[in-house]
Amino acid sequence: MGIAKVKSSSSTSPCAHLRTAYHNCFNRWYSEKFLKGQWDKEECVAEWQKYRTCLSKHLDDKHLSRFLDAELTPADLGGSIDGVSR
Amino acid sequence: MFQNLVCQLYLFAIYFFQMTKVETYVGAYSKTNKMVKAYAQEHVYKHPWERVTSASWRKYTDPQNKCTLSHILEVDTLNKKLDSESGKLYTTRAITLHAPGPWFIRKIVGQDICHCVESTVVDAQTRSMQLTTCNISLQKFIEVEEKIHYEPHPGNPSCWTLCRQETSIRIKPLSKLASMAEKIEHRCAEKFMQNSVKGREVMERICKYLEAETSGISL
Repeated sequence: MGIAKVKSSSSTSPCAHLRTAYHNCFNRWYSEKFLKGQWDKEECVAEWQKYRTCLSKHLDDKHLSRFLDAELTPADLGGSIDGVSR
Repeated sequence: MFQNLVCQLYLFAIYFFQMTKVETYVGAYSKTNKMVKAYAQEHVYKHPWERVTSASWRKYTDPQNKCTLSHILEVDTLNKKLDSESGKLYTTRAITLHAPGPWFIRKIVGQDICHCVESTVVDAQTRSMQLTTCNISLQKFIEVEEKIHYEPHPGNPSCWTLCRQETSIRIKPLSKLASMAEKIEHRCAEKFMQNSVKGREVMERICKYLEAETSGISL
């Protein structure tokens, strides 16, 4: 069921290789640095910049593009389950 | 027939949010004329929190799982912020899904692509990860919000992870679906459970893979 589904493309498909590069970098950073307490330094900055530039060019959904520029604050992130600290 | 249709759309909303094991069914209740359903679930992963949260980031993007989660078209990171003092990571991702179901569903909703936004907070110091996902498409028909929280299992904090999940589904009163919404329970609940298993399977598979990777490389 669902395996033979036709893969449609979305507006951000042109950014696919930049996205993969960033996500691979992020996953590595998350497991090898962030989780081990080395969170003082951002990594994957170059990958992120390239990917983000591409996204801002191709993301055509206005509901989504507002998240690109938004300043992230915990308040945007909804309530918590059982008062989990954030 | 119509009952089936409502069920389909309802499912199609639930389908996006890959569930883990359903252990408790909190129940459905009606408030004014809105249908609200809430589900709470718990699942224990017999893997440490670090591995489970690493798997969570890969859940939708791992090529191995493309078949199981074939309705996921794209996952884009829209924003991120690292608080380098406290060790908290905030991200916002867009999840683009292909709406499954027959043509008449697409006819009603007018599109076959649905966007969801997932906000995540990871606190590395307290070992907590919380994800909140909402649909931003199709909001005039249905609102689905899912919260997932991963924390070390109280009984075995260094080796196991407790996943708690809350899903609420609200069918809009004026939508074409609302008048039929009362009838959907049984079949939908069944499907809901079936889909739940898929998301958990993917997570378990990635955890195993990550486990093998760690023991192969660093031990």
